[in-house]
Amino acid sequence: MTEVYKHIHPSKYFNDYINQDVRPDGRDFDQQRDVIININGITSADASAIVKCGNTTVVCGIKLELARPKAEEPDIGFLISNVELLPLCSSKFRPGPPSDYAQVISNIVSDIVINSKCVDLKDLCVVTDKLAWVIYCDLVCLDYDGSIVDACIIALITSLKTLSLPTVTYDNETEEVKVDTGVKIPLQVHGLPVATSFGIYHKLPRNIILADPSAYEEEMCGGIGANLIVCWNKGLFCGIQKFGGCNLSTEDEKRTISLAKQRCKLVEQVIETCIKNGEVK
Amino acid sequence: MQDFKLKPMKCELNYLSKSDGSAILSQGDTVVLASVNGPMDIKTVNQSIEKATLEVLFCSKEGKPSVADRYKENIIRHTCETAILGCLYPRTGITLTIQELENYGGLLTCAVNCACLALINSGVGMRHAVAALSCCVDGAGELVLEPTHAQATAARARLHFVFDSREKSLVTGFTEGTFSEGTYEEALARCRAASDLVFAFYRDIVSNYCHVI
Amino acid sequence: MKVSVGDVVLPGDYCEEISPKDEKSRVVIGPGLRKEVDHVYITKAGILKKKNPHTYWIDSYQKRYVPIRGENVIGIVTQKAGDIFRVDIGGSTTAALSFLSFEGATKKNRPELQVGDIIYAKLVIASKDMEPELVCVDSFGHKGRLGVLNDGFMFKCPINLVRKILNPKCPLLDSLKNEWPFEMAAGMNGRIWIKANSMRESIALGNAILGAEFLSDSDIKKMCNNIAAILAGHVS
Repeated sequence: MTEVYKHIHPSKYFNDYINQDVRPDGRDFDQQRDVIININGITSADASAIVKCGNTTVVCGIKLELARPKAEEPDIGFLISNVELLPLCSSKFRPGPPSDYAQVISNIVSDIVINSKCVDLKDLCVVTDKLAWVIYCDLVCLDYDGSIVDACIIALITSLKTLSLPTVTYDNETEEVKVDTGVKIPLQVHGLPVATSFGIYHKLPRNIILADPSAYEEEMCGGIGANLIVCWNKGLFCGIQKFGGCNLSTEDEKRTISLAKQRCKLVEQVIETCIKNGEVK
Repeated sequence: MQDFKLKPMKCELNYLSKSDGSAILSQGDTVVLASVNGPMDIKTVNQSIEKATLEVLFCSKEGKPSVADRYKENIIRHTCETAILGCLYPRTGITLTIQELENYGGLLTCAVNCACLALINSGVGMRHAVAALSCCVDGAGELVLEPTHAQATAARARLHFVFDSREKSLVTGFTEGTFSEGTYEEALARCRAASDLVFAFYRDIVSNYCHVI
Repeated sequence: MKVSVGDVVLPGDYCEEISPKDEKSRVVIGPGLRKEVDHVYITKAGILKKKNPHTYWIDSYQKRYVPIRGENVIGIVTQKAGDIFRVDIGGSTTAALSFLSFEGATKKNRPELQVGDIIYAKLVIASKDMEPELVCVDSFGHKGRLGVLNDGFMFKCPINLVRKILNPKCPLLDSLKNEWPFEMAAGMNGRIWIKANSMRESIALGNAILGAEFLSDSDIKKMCNNIAAILAGHVS
């Protein structure tokens, strides 16, 4: 019966839940979904992580390559991230070239990583103007259930933290490159950016803030994608994006910021524990 | 209230003769042209039975479409969707085309303001007008409202906000770089106060022609 | 922002004056105004106008037509489909015009209308959720001024210009009608059809109408005199 009701009156169905101060999946408005992280699941990649936030599942694989730096910036390497939303993860996505939404998510994720300066691109340079590392971060979504940016950032940062670069020797005269995979130096990752998504649901007299919205909640809050993404990194913001949904008042904005800070601590702990456990093995 | 100085704005409405609404706007040296067509017939697949479908096309000066352009389109589309009363025109489409003409910083804020003026000109029913402003944090940690191109490129962080004309609440926001919570709040408050100037400018532009139509 | 009658308004402004004075009085809000929970909000940029006792609307600039019930429009027949004609009236979808909604039309006696004909018709159904429907008769079955417009010349103009020239206070048509004979039909969808004795006169008429868009009443009179003088050959 409820399934029929949900399809006939989608907004009323959702509104009935909100009026009871509960969300369709039983969470409180501020409550996040559990985060599960698994590292180095893909042995063929240089570093990898699988992250689950509720149902949303993202796999991140990192591949290393050597390349010549750009002539205008000879002393920095490259960090290239890409998010793929395949038809596998949700019926919303069609096969074919990346959709507009996938491109937007890719852009947000790479912006957050670059803005947070968690990887100093100068560390990636091996020999100025000759040789630098390229870190390809491929993020593939396996199951899309909202708050995709949060999961992507966690997966990406966890993989970067477990990544170590092989030592490279470069002969200036013969231009010969020797890669020694036996001796690896862990990549320096400064800080730990964590993104938190919010949905803003229009309701009188005041709008409702939904932390970590699911795909269904995102749809109810005005279309695909979260309305507000706050990214916090060791005491500084490295990105606050708000698109669409309802307009945000000052008090709501303060609440979201404090929620984002709380969540940041939790996620940090999860990532640290996960990496520590991985090292023990 | 503080005295704010924005870049000089110049605008001409109804710049294009064939589109339903158009505007050319210059903020400082940045120039953007926007055109609105609709509500009109669109493909059945894209029709929504609840509201008008808004399609945004951003054409950069180079002409090559890129991922960054998709991001800009996304921002403008989301912003304008909240501003338009789409429920008045179900099963129709509204197309918004934005052409970058000159970019000397603040391109995206200029594009959002220009889009809003073009929508006002087209006579599409709107919930509220929107005003976009930008702010940057310079090397010394000071806030600069409406930075010049040189200031913006040298800045540690750039923050952009879009406000509605009803309650001045935040419609859209996007940031680059890192900044503290205090900076964010001050930038938001300052841009919010300065948005009055943009709305006053809109009113000025509209009053130029509306007494004789 | 709070505004009052006669002000230049922007979308998102609200007007507190628009409210019923007592329980019995009714307030009519026209285009560009929308009632929400607490106030009447403005949805279009323009000037807030009032007609006594309680009618309010916004005079705004607009080119694209959104069908409104009861308005007379000029359409172009684009297709004959079964019992109806499809007519392009400039809105988001074409309007339907039944074979039977002409004076004296029966199942056997069909009106002779070709694809490409220009018709002057009234909208009887116009709602955002339905296809608009046109008729060429009034409720008594007479055609009145509606029907096919033969010969002549049709051009498009902004919708606010049509409203302006149809305003009884506008001096444009008053000034022109004494200068030379012509026929004219103005559709509320921003289309004007004119017919004069010569090509020269048609062009002069069309230019006079389009030229009036951003002129004040006194300037319109001047312009009309000017055009009449040129047409009569006094000025070259």
